[in-house]
Amino acid sequence: MRAFRASVALVAAAAVVLTSGCSPSASGGDSGKVVLTLGSWRTEDLAMWQDEILPAFEKTHPNIDVKFTPTNTNEYNAAIQSQVDGGTGPDLITCRPYDVNRSWIKKGYFEKLDGKPMLGAFDQLALDPWAGDDGSPYCLPTAAVLAGFFYNKDIFTELNLKVPTTQDEFLSVLKAVKDNGKYAPLALGSAESWQLAYNGLYSIGPAYWKGEDGRQGLIKGTKKVTDPDFVAAFDAFDAWKPYLPKGSESLKYADMTQLFALGKAAILPDGSWDINQVAVGNLNVGVFGPPAATAGGERYVQEMPDMAIGISAASKHKAEAETFLAWTATPEFLSLYVNKLPGFFSMGKEPVTYTNKLAQEFADLKQGAKLTPRLGLDRLSAGTPPFDDEVWRVLQLMYTKDMSAQDATAELQKGLSAWYGPQQQK
Amino acid sequence: MRPVRIPVTTERKRSVRRAKYGYFLAFTVPALAVYVLFAALPLLNSMYYSLFDTDGEVARFVGLDNYHYLFTNPTTSERFWNALVNNLEFFAIHLLVEVPVGLLLAALLTSGRLRRSTGLYRTLLFIPTTLSVVIVGFIWRLIINPLWGLVDYPLLGNENTALPTISLMSVWQYVGIPMIFLYAALLAVPHDVLEAARVEGAGGWTTFWRIKFPLIAPQFGLIAILTYIWTFNGFDLVFALNGSAPGPNYSTDILGTLFYRTFFGSSGQLADLDLGATVASVIFLIILVITGAYFGLLHRRLRSYEL
Repeated sequence: MRAFRASVALVAAAAVVLTSGCSPSASGGDSGKVVLTLGSWRTEDLAMWQDEILPAFEKTHPNIDVKFTPTNTNEYNAAIQSQVDGGTGPDLITCRPYDVNRSWIKKGYFEKLDGKPMLGAFDQLALDPWAGDDGSPYCLPTAAVLAGFFYNKDIFTELNLKVPTTQDEFLSVLKAVKDNGKYAPLALGSAESWQLAYNGLYSIGPAYWKGEDGRQGLIKGTKKVTDPDFVAAFDAFDAWKPYLPKGSESLKYADMTQLFALGKAAILPDGSWDINQVAVGNLNVGVFGPPAATAGGERYVQEMPDMAIGISAASKHKAEAETFLAWTATPEFLSLYVNKLPGFFSMGKEPVTYTNKLAQEFADLKQGAKLTPRLGLDRLSAGTPPFDDEVWRVLQLMYTKDMSAQDATAELQKGLSAWYGPQQQK
Repeated sequence: MRPVRIPVTTERKRSVRRAKYGYFLAFTVPALAVYVLFAALPLLNSMYYSLFDTDGEVARFVGLDNYHYLFTNPTTSERFWNALVNNLEFFAIHLLVEVPVGLLLAALLTSGRLRRSTGLYRTLLFIPTTLSVVIVGFIWRLIINPLWGLVDYPLLGNENTALPTISLMSVWQYVGIPMIFLYAALLAVPHDVLEAARVEGAGGWTTFWRIKFPLIAPQFGLIAILTYIWTFNGFDLVFALNGSAPGPNYSTDILGTLFYRTFFGSSGQLADLDLGATVASVIFLIILVITGAYFGLLHRRLRSYEL
């Protein structure tokens, strides 16, 4: 029986260790310091926060100790939901933009930020993605990402090409590279459908659906995906098809980036976050923005609000959390953050200088252009089928199975009218 | 346990029995506790969650509404049936390729033809099983990459070839499992029986199908049902290759990825914990019913011979 008792004790001990290991370390640690936890989906930034950003904060705020506790990107939403519901959430929560955050606001995860002085660093457009249905801000913007086109300057010089500014010029550049035959015109594959939407359609489309006009129109129900403006955008996306590389149906995002980084492709439609992967070796890379629909037409750039930080309503140290949050609105934090992470851009009013050349080129694209976020993520994806996922799917079908722009937009409209109130009345 | 002398036999029997149960408990409780804590309880918990709606601020009991929604909403039901059919195809390819090839390899390894290098082959064939799926997926994706691989055709980009391609990658990786399983069974076939067959003039083919195979039939059935369980719990290779919305056009979506996408959400899809729990419970039932039917109806008929 001794063996039996020993094994029971062992299991019990293991259970105690396991459960205590799972519970969060209690805040308020040694020597009267307040410990704050900051939840995030960017596990890859752990070293940056620990070694560069948090020390800068703690130097001026010796009584607050912030711990960066990231979860895997894909599991972040579910992890935060189960942590907060179970009472073990972080003090500071990194906020997803739009619908996910709206549902979290509804569940009461965040402290309201109304009237806090730190909001002054941002204009309304920057705060909107994290506002509740009541219009109150709940999270403070940290960074946005931009979409555009990387191009190989050496290939452009060799083939005597000019950076295109309209869709027609863009297509004639692609044609010139294809006719020359030495390089792939466009490093783009359709194996990963998200980037067809985020770096393709949502980047060139706003020129046709007129940015916020079209996007808000879909949200309010005054416009339909089958309207000529949207169909034209899908057609513009379809016009790239003859210039895709061999076997593009099964090329992944990493393959495309690789193709471009090896100097074998002229143009890569991409997001700003990819700067470090693209600018490798002595590749001579430049950036240009989405072409206008017609000569002299309005320029649009996709600026996607990526992350913000909010204070957990369940935090025991709200005053300290607010101190930290206010610090993230200072130029000190913003310029530190965006320069440690080239490809991420401050959403603050105060201009930030970027030390990375390509990041600065990306930031310059915003000059004189109208900004708009990704089409499908605000409200339109909060039901079944989610509009954004459907866009991924139909864009992939356009490239792999020759689905036409008409059919693609008709299918999207059908999906939206199946559940989205404002699109159901007509 | 110290030997205890007790004159009264019933007393003694009882004590022996108690000691026996003591050991029985001591050996099963650790595994049972871990099993209950990490497998049974979460399973029951997820079935419990599938009866609630937690979208609002408080969880609301909704009975079988989540199941009703899963099977009647045009989008979710289409995705579910699509994933189920894909999963059947995924299983069928494993059953028709992996298990027979495993049997063939095991038969060759025990045939006595490979006199010296049996151990080497056995090890080589088993190695892929020990690799991480991420590595397997990555290697195969490079091999069949139309840009820098050996195959020009975009196998993973075509709706008709994508799932068979992924299934065959998985078969390549896991063929060692049925092989080693059936190899062990074949080794247990007594030599005198085989020798008697040889003396009677039976060739290799006859010996295998008339003597060896009937003797390992129960293990063969077992590996088939295990393949069923493994493929219906499949997730990792598809996820490693194609992510949680496995394209093109959901043609490589299986139940595991459907569950993952539902439960954890994707960039455009909210995480739906209740519906995720519902999908998980349905997957569990699909596995339970077929496995139960197999053991109840079929496995008992596969005679095992006492030799």
